[in-house]
Amino acid sequence: MDMMQHATLLKYNNYRYLKASSLLMAIAVAAYISVDAASEHSFGGTRLGYALGIVSTLIMFLLMWYGIAKRRTPRVPDRRQHQECAGNKHNNGDTQAVFSAQQKVERRRCPVKKSWRYGGTLQGWLSAHVYLGILLIVLASLHAGFQFGWNVHTLSYVLMLLVIASGFYGMYAYLNYPRQITQNMASDTLGDLLLKIAELDELARIRALGLPDDVNTLVLKARRETRLGGSLFQQLIGCQRDCPTALAVQQVQELGKKYINDEQPKLMRDLYSVLLHKQKLVLRARNEIMLKARLGGWLYLHVPLSIALLAALIAHIVAIFFYW
Amino acid sequence: MISCLLIQISRNPQGLPVRKESTVTGESIQIGRSAPCKIHLLDHRVNLLHATIRRSEDGKLYVEGEKDATITINGFIEQSTALSPGTHIEIGPYLLVVEPAQDGHDIGLSVEMTQPLPEQDTAKTGWAAPVTLAGLGLSKRKLGFGLAVCVLFIFLLLPMLPNASSTFDKWQSALPVTLTESWSPGPLSGGHSVLGSKCSTCHQRAFRPVSDDACVGCHKQVAKHLAKEDLHASAFKNMRCTSCHQDHGGEAGLVLHDSSICVTCHGAIKKKNAGTVLADAHDFGTDHPSFHITLLDGKKAIRIRQDEKEKLVEKSGLKYSHQVHLNKKGISTPQGDTIMVCKDCHKIDEAGTHFAPMTMKETCQQSRCHKLYFALPVDGVVPHGSEREAMGRVREYYAKWLADSPGQNMVACKHAGGAGSSAKRTLECANDLSKKFAAETLFRKSGEDLECGVCHEIEPTGDSDVPWKVAPLQINRDWQPGAVFPHSRHGAINCTECHDKMNSKTSSEIAMPDIKKCRECHVGDHSAKGKIRSTCDSCHRFHQGAKKASNSNSR
Repeated sequence: MDMMQHATLLKYNNYRYLKASSLLMAIAVAAYISVDAASEHSFGGTRLGYALGIVSTLIMFLLMWYGIAKRRTPRVPDRRQHQECAGNKHNNGDTQAVFSAQQKVERRRCPVKKSWRYGGTLQGWLSAHVYLGILLIVLASLHAGFQFGWNVHTLSYVLMLLVIASGFYGMYAYLNYPRQITQNMASDTLGDLLLKIAELDELARIRALGLPDDVNTLVLKARRETRLGGSLFQQLIGCQRDCPTALAVQQVQELGKKYINDEQPKLMRDLYSVLLHKQKLVLRARNEIMLKARLGGWLYLHVPLSIALLAALIAHIVAIFFYW
Repeated sequence: MISCLLIQISRNPQGLPVRKESTVTGESIQIGRSAPCKIHLLDHRVNLLHATIRRSEDGKLYVEGEKDATITINGFIEQSTALSPGTHIEIGPYLLVVEPAQDGHDIGLSVEMTQPLPEQDTAKTGWAAPVTLAGLGLSKRKLGFGLAVCVLFIFLLLPMLPNASSTFDKWQSALPVTLTESWSPGPLSGGHSVLGSKCSTCHQRAFRPVSDDACVGCHKQVAKHLAKEDLHASAFKNMRCTSCHQDHGGEAGLVLHDSSICVTCHGAIKKKNAGTVLADAHDFGTDHPSFHITLLDGKKAIRIRQDEKEKLVEKSGLKYSHQVHLNKKGISTPQGDTIMVCKDCHKIDEAGTHFAPMTMKETCQQSRCHKLYFALPVDGVVPHGSEREAMGRVREYYAKWLADSPGQNMVACKHAGGAGSSAKRTLECANDLSKKFAAETLFRKSGEDLECGVCHEIEPTGDSDVPWKVAPLQINRDWQPGAVFPHSRHGAINCTECHDKMNSKTSSEIAMPDIKKCRECHVGDHSAKGKIRSTCDSCHRFHQGAKKASNSNSR
């Protein structure tokens, strides 16, 4: 994500949601200070506590609604919408090429309709999601009156903090990793790289067939044991300890000196070249897998913890009124 | 020379074997990956030279594995073996089976690749390990819903169960970790901690606030704020015990020290009770009426505003000069000149709020002062207490004095030569002399020390046996019964900082500090630097009801 997109996310609509969140935060803090000065008991059971709790809950639902709004908001306006917008200029007889070129022009003229059906644009939702999430830390802390314990109430608070913390990481990831992914992969895709690596493996195998057994063993090991991807942790780490391909590159170079007088020095050089190429591709592929995993991996905390938070929130609210 | 019929077996798309025969000959037949090998197995899992078939001296054929090469004969790893029909030899991914010799060949050998490269399969379909998070098969929703179910079970369903059955509630409350513990927002305060995790003691009905009945069920002795039932009911109709008492605050206590609740009524008290004598109050530091001093007027308690100085006169019946007793140079006592301090007489009681009642015996006579000796014309000590006892004791002294030396002493009496028995005359004489003595010394209104009139108001009674009466004492012990002032917590400052008694000559002077004096250290609800925050309940008790002034009748 480049700086322009960065700016769009956080500066959306002239910092609309930053301003709104700051205003709410200031009101909440001022109210807490004025009330708290006269009261030692600052649990959510006070009037202000209830108010902060209700507002926090509403904001929490709004943040969770983002997950739904994200799916409901069309990323690309559908054809029918543009046809309507363009006044039915394009009929079925138009070629696809003409349609595509025309579509781009119309897309600029007719931006995505901000209807309540979709609840605004996705960027707007995301901007609000970020700022309201930060606001929630303050509101929930004030609601709790900074009193914590080993109970379902603090569990809700801790889950909320974990969700927000993972969200912070997600924002960092979205602002940084896409650029790195683009730099790493250029025009390639991971599938391309994997195919190339498989081809190089086969090439190396064939090259090594006529070479001494120790070389052959190295190539075989590099082919069999070089790992790409793997478990969640391995994907996030993005490297392999004692990578057999790197080891093969290093040792084939040394063995080349040993067999310099052999009858097949060219084969050794070819093999070395193939393995070196493979090593570079493996590193790029691993980097791609790691960046993609880091870009998307936080959601495996953010989403499940959000759902768990919703459950804890229900338990918290029911507990409060069950034993009023 | 060895002649070998080599049968290469491959599989057609249906999986059926296809045999291709060829002949290889040589002194020995090498099996390996390298081109010179007669049986050429092109796979990198086979060594360049893996094994060799040779003829032994007795003419039999055997296969021998090369150094560092592994061959498996009939399932067992061996270095060499004789070749006989049916022998299975595994070399790398290939299976070689010895077949009966045919057509003049020394041996038949079928070769089939039984373990193709796994990579060759995966290269077609993709990488073996998952390379994307989606490939891991993890589901964010399933994980989330799983967590949610756990949370709801442990933190919602389990804590609800004790409410369904009192037996179950009792059982679970004895567990080391109770089911309801996760719902408790904090530890219970003070005495409530004995309730443990039996929530239903207070939370008697689900989704209903804690009722006053639950509190009053145990706290039966708690007084109401207002003595009048109807006034109390109308003033607190929208309030419950828990409006002020919120538990689960642990050491913070049960009482909500929030003046705003008090101010809802006392901020405009006339609206709540038009007939009240109380003034409005909002905050001790900024808006609190002047203190009232409660005095005893006979048996009736009266409240006087502290700024009405002329009315602030104590009628205790005692004549006492603090100035004399607190003289910085000391006061003459049987032990010599002694410098007295306040606490010599005013001793804080066990509660720490008031002072223990003072008595003649323990306060005034303790250091042998005020022993009430009398010496003329007889020696003795008058008991402090009732006038009748004092008169009786004086009469006894005179009777004894007359009886000891009747001839000499009876002269002082007009009954000396009168009629009647000697004993009767002596008693009458003693009676006369004691009355005379009492009138001249004990019950004289003013005079020297050791006379009752020094400290007490004395009035004649007309009674011939006890002609004088000492006015009863009414020493005030609680000047502000509507407030609580813990003297024990103000011990760091001198008494005279607040009570200006050093120059007080009479006991009718009242030296109670006014609100300005308190405000030198105390502020109201809002904290201020260097000041003590004081809410309504710092001085006032909600449940004390209407208190009366108390006094101690010291004799």
